[in-house]
Amino acid sequence: MSMRPPPEARSVFRDAPVSYPAHGICRCALLLCFFCSPPGCSCFSGDGPMQKKKKSAKSWRKALTPYVWLLPSFTLMTVMVLLPILTVFYRSFQKFSKAGKIKGFIGADNFSQVLHSAKFSLVLRNTLVWTVLVVLISTILGIIIGMVLNSEFKGRKIARAIVVFPWATSLIIQASVWKFIINTDHGALNALLMKLGLTKSAVNFTSSPEAWFAWEIWVGIFVTVPFVAFCVLSGLQSIDSGYYEAAAIDGGGFWQQTFYITLPLIRPSLTVSTVLNIIYVFNSFPIIWAMTKGDPASRTDTLVTYLYKLAFINGENGQAAAVSVISFLILCVVSAAYLAISSGGGDES
Amino acid sequence: MKKQFALALTLAAAFGCMTMQTQASEKTSVSVIAAQYGNNTAAWWADFEKDFEADNPDIDLVVEVVSWNDIYTKVNTLLQNDQAPDVLNIDTFADYYADDLLLPAKDYVSEETYAKYYEAFLGQSEIDGTVWAVPDLASVRTMFYNKDLLEEAGVEVPATWDELKEACKALKDFYGDEVYPWGIDMTTDEGQAAFAYYTWNNGGGFVDENGDWALNSDANVEAVEFEMSLYNEGYTNSDPANQTRYDLQDLFGQGKLAMMIGPNGIPTYLSDGGYEINYGIASIPSNTGDSIAMGVMDRFMCFDNGYSEEELAAVTTFFDYFFDDERYAAWVKMEDFLPATSTGAEAIAAMDESYANWIDILGTCQFYPTAKTEWIDVKQGSIDVEQQALLGEDVRTLLDALQEEVAG
Repeated sequence: MSMRPPPEARSVFRDAPVSYPAHGICRCALLLCFFCSPPGCSCFSGDGPMQKKKKSAKSWRKALTPYVWLLPSFTLMTVMVLLPILTVFYRSFQKFSKAGKIKGFIGADNFSQVLHSAKFSLVLRNTLVWTVLVVLISTILGIIIGMVLNSEFKGRKIARAIVVFPWATSLIIQASVWKFIINTDHGALNALLMKLGLTKSAVNFTSSPEAWFAWEIWVGIFVTVPFVAFCVLSGLQSIDSGYYEAAAIDGGGFWQQTFYITLPLIRPSLTVSTVLNIIYVFNSFPIIWAMTKGDPASRTDTLVTYLYKLAFINGENGQAAAVSVISFLILCVVSAAYLAISSGGGDES
Repeated sequence: MKKQFALALTLAAAFGCMTMQTQASEKTSVSVIAAQYGNNTAAWWADFEKDFEADNPDIDLVVEVVSWNDIYTKVNTLLQNDQAPDVLNIDTFADYYADDLLLPAKDYVSEETYAKYYEAFLGQSEIDGTVWAVPDLASVRTMFYNKDLLEEAGVEVPATWDELKEACKALKDFYGDEVYPWGIDMTTDEGQAAFAYYTWNNGGGFVDENGDWALNSDANVEAVEFEMSLYNEGYTNSDPANQTRYDLQDLFGQGKLAMMIGPNGIPTYLSDGGYEINYGIASIPSNTGDSIAMGVMDRFMCFDNGYSEEELAAVTTFFDYFFDDERYAAWVKMEDFLPATSTGAEAIAAMDESYANWIDILGTCQFYPTAKTEWIDVKQGSIDVEQQALLGEDVRTLLDALQEEVAG
């Protein structure tokens, strides 16, 4: 999981809040994905109807056992995921004072204020660009790297270890390191270019908001690729080599093998990695916060950094909750749609 | 079963003991949440707590030091759960006042201590004739310049905006890309400070003479346009929307930045960072011939937790103890701030002569209008205006929109 859910990153990161409304939400979206997933993967298909007819105490106990085992998880999910989500929904309909006190129900005012602000559409567009580009490009690169790592060559183990590095480092550190690398005044990249004699004076790599955003997307890709690569790798290793031998005998070349054997067979792994990535990238806070804080003028804000600013810098708790709810709904719809499309196609083939 | 019973008994006994202990002590407790100004703050408060309790055995003082990054979240969470601290040390108070959570300062500060504060400072916390918070310390912003860089390029220290432009041009012509002539910080962290430096020194500012919001005054439009022209003509650091004051202080220390506006703590920042540059201090360049320095002031406030007489007396004792001149001078000096009491200022000047100049400047400062409840919107709004102007938007349109949003 390359774009790890915010908790770990937050603990390292001073600026991040303790009660950060979006993180429970990403997990819930995940939960929802499981509920929306096609039939056939039910966890409770164990007890047959026969046992249930005997109503002795013993069989009752037997029937209850799985639920007792589930109770801790269920309690945890309720307290850590469900309650925070319900709280955020509740708060999105409340009026708040600047000091954070709830001042009563105000209907959909928070939502209408958010939707009518000029910033919101800009931030929504940024979020879309950010999520699509990071997930798409890292998926493509991840597939390529996964295939390379699956082929046999000397030093493959070392190569695999190197690929996992970006993923093993905390996001906040990654983002800070990249911010240092591209710094105009004392960045490593400028120093390198000047030492190699490629440039005479320092280059400003971040001369516009678009440039900053592109760098942030690059860092997002950089930390996401390893996860995709390893998902693909696990998928590749489960493919029977017989398929390739048969294809080779039938005269299928590399591209035909890739498109007709490899890609269809790693699709389950790709579905998992893509859904998780959509959720994590959409909700990713540390990269953007560490590099630009969404500045200048929200040009590099995504929904998550935007709602953080609303809550903790502008003192607009109600609007922040509204943005959080909107993000949650978007994620639910997108994840469910993606799962429906990808698993629907799977049934046909 | 027996084991469980035994465990329950032990727990009950332990709990009983605890409650008995708290009943037995019958101390009046005072809880304080204090902002963490620097590396020494927590240790200083720990010592303070120990000394205070030794001198006042019937008061249980509990101080929690919280970093600036977390303190607003922390306090807001406490307030939402109706667990307000007794005393809070933070920058702004108007939001808490608006929620009717504070006590007037005169209710909990003794007359003797109250008389020590600078009148002008108390005025910063006054709403409708009542003072709702007392100052804990202050700092001053003025211009710092690199003497060697200016001298080598044959540039005089600028005092007016025209001179500033000329100085920037001369520095740029002389050093090219090696040195940034002028530093500007318009970041989310502190962009409102830049807004103040330029508008105040052009006869404008956040409010008019009646104290009403006047964000789109002609003087402000001209000031922000001047600020942008410094960037657009290539005289400033490369990324003002992203480079914080600390980035600028580092560039200044490295000799890559010739002039910047910053707080009186910069000398300590430079020496702590191992920077060895030859710098001077001057007034912020002004367009009106009357340079205005910026003062920043933080506060103590007391939440209205329905105190008994003893409890309120304990809070009063806390403030008397804190503002004891010797102790207060040590507190202010510890993190390189300036005193908010006249007697404290005398005590510090006696300890360290270099403070005298700063204390003089403090007398001529202007402050952010933090007593107004819209301040938080104005603060973020002014930063947003600067960042949008930086991207080429029209300054007057932006300021008109901000004024409309805040006071319309």
